[in-house]
Amino acid sequence: MSEVALARPGLPVVVLAAGVLAADQVSFLLVGSAALWLRGEPVTVGDVDVAIEPSEPNLRRLHEALMRLAVRPDTIAPVHRLRELSVATAITPYGRVDCLLERGRQDWYRLSQTAGYVAVADAPVLVASAADAWALRRRFKK
Amino acid sequence: MTTMGERSGVGLVELAILEALDARRAWHNRRPVSCLKLLLALEDGIGLARGYAYQVLIDQTLPWKLPIPLIEGQGNFGGRGNDPPASAYYTEARLSPAGEVALSAERGEIAPIPIGLINGNTNRQGTRPPFRPTAVIEAVRQVLRRPRLTAKQIADIIGPPDFLTGCTVTGDLAGLIAGRRTELGLQARVTVTDAAQVKARVAKAAIPGYPAPQIHQRDVGRLVIVLENFPPYVNTDEIAASIDKRAQEYAWKTRYPELGEQAGLPIKYLADLTARDDYWFVCVPDAGTPAEVLRDQLMDVYGVTIYVSVGLPRPLATMIRTWTRTHQHEDLNASLTALESALASRHQKRLMARP
Repeated sequence: MSEVALARPGLPVVVLAAGVLAADQVSFLLVGSAALWLRGEPVTVGDVDVAIEPSEPNLRRLHEALMRLAVRPDTIAPVHRLRELSVATAITPYGRVDCLLERGRQDWYRLSQTAGYVAVADAPVLVASAADAWALRRRFKK
Repeated sequence: MTTMGERSGVGLVELAILEALDARRAWHNRRPVSCLKLLLALEDGIGLARGYAYQVLIDQTLPWKLPIPLIEGQGNFGGRGNDPPASAYYTEARLSPAGEVALSAERGEIAPIPIGLINGNTNRQGTRPPFRPTAVIEAVRQVLRRPRLTAKQIADIIGPPDFLTGCTVTGDLAGLIAGRRTELGLQARVTVTDAAQVKARVAKAAIPGYPAPQIHQRDVGRLVIVLENFPPYVNTDEIAASIDKRAQEYAWKTRYPELGEQAGLPIKYLADLTARDDYWFVCVPDAGTPAEVLRDQLMDVYGVTIYVSVGLPRPLATMIRTWTRTHQHEDLNASLTALESALASRHQKRLMARP
């Protein structure tokens, strides 16, 4: 997990939102179409799905980062709600960011075992393996 | 009360609202009824919660959400920005001519009409996109006349999905027509022009007696970027906020300069010149930034480009053929003519005036 791979050229702008979260020290794991794109799969990236590490300090960092990043900070759930919510969505200038909180609570350890870092611009973003990203996609997306 | 929208493709909740309007004689040439009273009647009658029913009612009145609005609203039904619709207490509604035709079809008074296929349901986060009304009607007519019409010919008649605001549609259109799930990109129109043209447009839209916004009075030859024809279902005020946010200095920029370089927008200023349902912004690039470079960067801002997940249950040509075959024993030509007349009526045209 220590080595950082470089993202392939033509990075979809929405993926920069993950870079911003990483730069803000939020611990998360990129899944969904953005992860698949960074793993070289031919998919269209419409939004960013991130599984969030379920620790209390991380939720605080996430909340602060989303408040700075979101187009409408008033729509961001407070920290105590982030502890319970299944998904928190933020509309950012880069695109839509879905924070998969329940997935993080359930599968953080398992998913992070096979994940690896990819540099998005300069920020190292933890990205799920292609197999895990496909498995999640098949399970949750029709 | 009708329980299914099989003959028009109109959703059940929409249909319940149309029925309730009809029961109150709120026809297109009669006085509209209070939305609050209508919603209370729906709540009492079928237990439909008023908050949800009001949302659906509002959608049915907005010309940038549906190609064929089935309801005519009077009062403030909200704009495309942050201005929300007024409470149901202050608004009124009545059936549009097309809404009346849809009800007639549902009741079996005329043959079915394909309103569901035309309107789609992406306005309520569904996957079926809207199509041009006249094109769908023409396709059904052609299939009636020539049942052996090929899938390609049908698809050519119908054309690509029509997202109403004049935004550019990109993506796997062939896949969509073939019945596959796909992502379509909806892009606002972003053009480079000079400040003189912007000034002229602002002056034209100005309301007499009110001062027009001042746009680059000193250097009318300066190149600026105009953003218009925004995708539907996006809040235009949020687009302005997104651009503004990208233009600002951001804390991580110092930590990760490369990220900042890619994400930041070199904008001198952004002006929201929306007036009279004409939603448009003007961006002035920072000194030293070519307008064409900023234009390309603006295309990536959320809201200027959005992606919608779309898909049809079956290939489009099959849907048209099946629909036509199912109802061919009825007088489809007459019902299509009724729908066309409704759409051509001055009243409906006014409701369908595009933003």
